[in-house]
Amino acid sequence: MRLADRLKRNVPALAIATFAGGALGACQPYNAPMNTLSTQSDLAKWITSLYMQVTIWDTIIMVIVLVAMVLAIFVFSSREGDPGEPSEHESDLMLELAWTVGPALILVFITVPTIRTIMKTQPTKWPADTLTVEVRAHQWWWEFDYPGLKIQTADELHLPANRVVDIKLYSEDIIHSFWVPALGGKRDVIPGQINHITVVPQVPGEYYGQCAEFCGLSHANMRFRVVVDTPEGFKQWTAAQLAPPVEPKQAAAADGEKIFKNAPCAICHQIRGISGFSPQYSYGFRGPDLTHFGSRGTLAGSILENTPENVALWIQNPDKLKPGAQMPTLGLRGKDLQDLVAYLESLK
Amino acid sequence: MAAQPKTLEYEYPNYLQDPRGIWSWLTTIDHKRIAILYGVSALFFMMVGGLEAMLIRAQLMVPNNHLIGAAIYNELFTMHGTTMIFLVVMPLELGFFANFMIPLHIGARDVAFPRLNALSYWVFIAGAIFLHLGLVRSLAGMPDAGWFGYANLTERMYSPGINIDTWVLGLLILGVSTLLSGLNFFVTIVNMRAPGMTFMRMPMFMWAMLVTTILILLAFPALTVGLVFLFADRFLDTHFYRVSAGATPILWQHLFWIFGHPEVYIMALPAFGIISEVITPFSRKPLFGYPMMAYSLVLIAFLSYGVWGHHMFATGMGPIADSTFAITTMLIAIPTGIKIFSWIATVWGGRLRFTTAMLFTLGFIVEFTAGGLSGVMHASPPVDLQQTDSYIVVAHFHYVLFGGMMMGILAGFYYWWPKITGRMLNETIGKWQFWITLWAFNGTFFPMHFLGVLGMPRRIYTYAPNMGWDFWNYFESINAFILGFAFLLFFINLVWSTLHGEHSSADPWDGRTLEWSIPSPPPAFNFVTIPMVTARDAFWVRKYGSVGAHGVAPAISGGAAAAPVGAPAEVHEHIHMPAPSIYPLIFGLGLFMAALGCMIWIRLILIGGALILMSILGMVFEYPTFGQFNPEALAESTLGLDNRKLGMWAFLGSECVFFASLISTYMVYKDRNLGGFDAMILNIPLTSFSTFILLTSSLLMVLALAAVQRDDRKWGAIWLFGTAFFGMIFLGGQAYEFTDFVLQGLKIQTNLFGQTFYTLVGFHGIHVLIGVCWLLVLAFTTAAGKIGKDRSLAVEIGGLYWHFVDIVWVVIFTLIYLMRTVKHA
Amino acid sequence: MSDHAIKNPHIEAHAVAHEEHPGPGVYLLVAAILTVLTAAEITVFYVPGLQPVLVPILLVLAAVKFAFVAGFYMHLYYDSKVFTIFFGFPLLLALLIVLGLLLLFAHLQGVLSFTIP
Repeated sequence: MRLADRLKRNVPALAIATFAGGALGACQPYNAPMNTLSTQSDLAKWITSLYMQVTIWDTIIMVIVLVAMVLAIFVFSSREGDPGEPSEHESDLMLELAWTVGPALILVFITVPTIRTIMKTQPTKWPADTLTVEVRAHQWWWEFDYPGLKIQTADELHLPANRVVDIKLYSEDIIHSFWVPALGGKRDVIPGQINHITVVPQVPGEYYGQCAEFCGLSHANMRFRVVVDTPEGFKQWTAAQLAPPVEPKQAAAADGEKIFKNAPCAICHQIRGISGFSPQYSYGFRGPDLTHFGSRGTLAGSILENTPENVALWIQNPDKLKPGAQMPTLGLRGKDLQDLVAYLESLK
Repeated sequence: MAAQPKTLEYEYPNYLQDPRGIWSWLTTIDHKRIAILYGVSALFFMMVGGLEAMLIRAQLMVPNNHLIGAAIYNELFTMHGTTMIFLVVMPLELGFFANFMIPLHIGARDVAFPRLNALSYWVFIAGAIFLHLGLVRSLAGMPDAGWFGYANLTERMYSPGINIDTWVLGLLILGVSTLLSGLNFFVTIVNMRAPGMTFMRMPMFMWAMLVTTILILLAFPALTVGLVFLFADRFLDTHFYRVSAGATPILWQHLFWIFGHPEVYIMALPAFGIISEVITPFSRKPLFGYPMMAYSLVLIAFLSYGVWGHHMFATGMGPIADSTFAITTMLIAIPTGIKIFSWIATVWGGRLRFTTAMLFTLGFIVEFTAGGLSGVMHASPPVDLQQTDSYIVVAHFHYVLFGGMMMGILAGFYYWWPKITGRMLNETIGKWQFWITLWAFNGTFFPMHFLGVLGMPRRIYTYAPNMGWDFWNYFESINAFILGFAFLLFFINLVWSTLHGEHSSADPWDGRTLEWSIPSPPPAFNFVTIPMVTARDAFWVRKYGSVGAHGVAPAISGGAAAAPVGAPAEVHEHIHMPAPSIYPLIFGLGLFMAALGCMIWIRLILIGGALILMSILGMVFEYPTFGQFNPEALAESTLGLDNRKLGMWAFLGSECVFFASLISTYMVYKDRNLGGFDAMILNIPLTSFSTFILLTSSLLMVLALAAVQRDDRKWGAIWLFGTAFFGMIFLGGQAYEFTDFVLQGLKIQTNLFGQTFYTLVGFHGIHVLIGVCWLLVLAFTTAAGKIGKDRSLAVEIGGLYWHFVDIVWVVIFTLIYLMRTVKHA
Repeated sequence: MSDHAIKNPHIEAHAVAHEEHPGPGVYLLVAAILTVLTAAEITVFYVPGLQPVLVPILLVLAAVKFAFVAGFYMHLYYDSKVFTIFFGFPLLLALLIVLGLLLLFAHLQGVLSFTIP
């Protein structure tokens, strides 16, 4: 009976134990592409190591508070016929000093590595072989420019492994935030201000990113992928991107190219040598560069896998898949639609 | 607790019984009735905000859900945040608990300015309704840019609908209400304490409220300035947050968080206070470490002004700013830790009674600690870069706001409901509610830590499957519905217990503070005789002899032991409570119409303005004795100072932050101006002349005061007219200056210089204009012979305002005019 | 209000607060000082040789004017110190906010180049 009572009083502790178990489970890197703890760059490793230190201190304090609370509740709950009187202890200088100085010391242990990490992660000078990438955020897709390489692409950022990358962040409209958890923390992308993320990706692979600052209707649909290539892989990719767009070989694709040129697509979307962006007709809204569209894994702010079916779906009704999307519904259907999709998919 | 007759000790009707009728509620200026109005409104909005939360969780229950869609989801999370902060937590803590309890705790009959208190309520309701105008779907829908409303998403270009207009204007109105409440309660606590109640004898809730009101006075002006800029951008086509003109949207974030972080403590500190009150009677011990508890409140408040940047670590403020804000933020953990450990030490060694109120209090301590500790993580900028705008932040602030503030509020409900309504809340339902809440709260919000670590961003209306987020989202949603059920129990308990609950005695919990010494519910005038306070825990000492004493609980608990001396019937004759007034309601209505006019029909502004003017004049001339020197009131005041003068000084303190925000905006934008007109256009000879005019007017003002204090009504009137006249010359000079600039081509829309100059100097001009109107009213009343020595304070207070306008001009003249060539930033 | 028998030493300690305000003589003197200071400010503004030290001089002069108006016209010098605290603390805070914002924006201006799309 007594035990049952005590258990009942201990529901909070039991609940927390359950959740702690869950927490351990959650930290496993099972199919969680945005996991902040699966670190794949120097920046992410530094942050995670700091995070772990803080978490340990936090856990210690939480345990102290919980144990004290539970003990107090157990020992001092009043029972019937209890003759004892409450203590008259109103203050205790040593005790109060202890819980002022103790936490202050812990904070010193947190602050020192914190400031070190701040200084380490915000360099103002970059080594000579740094790769500079200009990230341009639009409502609601990501554009990636490589000014040194003269490459323009969207939705999928390719980076070489083991090389310093300076990611410069520009916004074309409002505030967004660039975040690839596996490569490290986020930075806001602010119009009129250039922010930097300096990072050395260490492990080749495909990582997920997403806009992290609320940016209007389709904030949830502003995703992207980062592909970290081996140095050779990155060279191959660069060469492929620099190549002019593929000449359509099939009849369907050739028809598709005509449709692309004649439909309003060409006003907003650039395909090098085929079409350029014309601000005067597009009200200043620019769409992703499609020169090598077929080589990308995803489209439309990385909310869809790049398959012919998905491309067709997207062209038919962008607003349904991405509420508020700037791309208009053109009413293309039947063979025209199939041809256009065939052309776009041929742009490897 | 055995059932006791309701009002054993007194034959007076309680505050709910007399007077009756709907009119008596519309015109009431009794702090207890206003508290009830606040409470009922806030509980209604709690239901609204709770339903919004459950719809949010329903949408997020499964990936790629199409239940609600992006547009409505964004409206829901915006309004959930705005509602819970401005329409639920703050009205419950300030409007309901503080309003009801401040006079009872400090032994006063009402707050310092009862009509202003009613005015705060009606303005609050006006703002609350205004925020929900978008419910009329044909208008534009609800605000949808988040409770933080980051510029430049809120600019007309990116949010063309009038939904953001309702948000801007609604928050401005609510800001007025909160500021006035803060001013009122601040003066009340400082100056209306019962004899013997020194600061160090106040209940801890009073300390919490004192500090909270200071935070309100000094934080809200920054929000007001930020909102005014946004208003100007949206309605006057200025460029405060527009990159194309050289401005930066980051300015909004600074102004918003200069307000926003103190705002967190405006919500947190009252809950700390409630917890400190509830924990002592149920531990049968005095509060542990009282002085440290009080000082840590002050320290938290002070530090809270230096930490706003920790909301902006991701914006790239640079390593120095990041480190500074990290250190100041970490420092806050020390006083907060002191509070938590002191609460545990209060429980330690006590004789605990696990009433529902106590259970929520203990729940508060644990959950708030968890919330505070995750806050330490975000305080470290590199860690914050992974965590900010992810679900781990959502977990953090719900642990603080729900696990902390809301549990504190619920504890307050179970603790004070008997005093407020005379009936106990049902303990059985209460305990069910507590345990279900505890489970469901942790079930809803603890997994958000995991989601944050797994990289789920905030404010997304949908997410893809196979991100590792599915299970916990589903789990959270189920728990959120259970949490909703717990609140359903709460509302059932409130309604049922108020109608059929057990009657409460005056002192059902064997309480320690003064509110338990008077009947439940209290009479309109609270105390028959103002209590004499000799120690902390005043009522406990009166019952048992000393703070540490633990005598057997008296046979008739509380009331009998505390029976007042003197014959009640005789005393009653002398208690004059101020008469009810309809003008506060009219003021609220006028403000609502003026704001509505900005959006839909410009002429409504005039009608609203007329109503506001009518209510102000109505309030000034409502009582024939208004403004007269009252030696009794002065003698009864704690500091021997007049409430109105204290109130004016507190208001001027608040104005300092208002003008500081305007001046810093001018200075930081000065060098970002993209060509065109700049400060070199400023006319130094003209403004030098204006400066002399304004200084002379200040001289005439003090001469007027000296004359009135001598009871020389004739010269008083002459000097007052003279002051007003010089004020008008100044305004004329300013009108000339502005016209000249406009004719030269510098409009408010022209560039950064134009807009910051016109808003800063224009707001000063508006202050001068208000001052001139005020002076004219004073001058005419003096000329009519109504203001002499006995009302000299009216002139003195008007003078304080006038001189403040003068010293603001001293600053503006130096920084803007004489330093026109200087680069600031 | 009835029971004035209940008096309390705590009140008495503060009852001295409502002291007499100064007379017109002091006010006229302060007005003269303010006039001179303002004249000095304007002079400093027009003297080319003083441009390098313009900012410190103007700030000091403004602060002195501020103090005179607040101290004498607003009676902070004579009144209860409570008012000085009520006004001084917010003033200090306002100064810190201005200073903080200036420093933060100086960083934005200096380190990050600024582009207009």
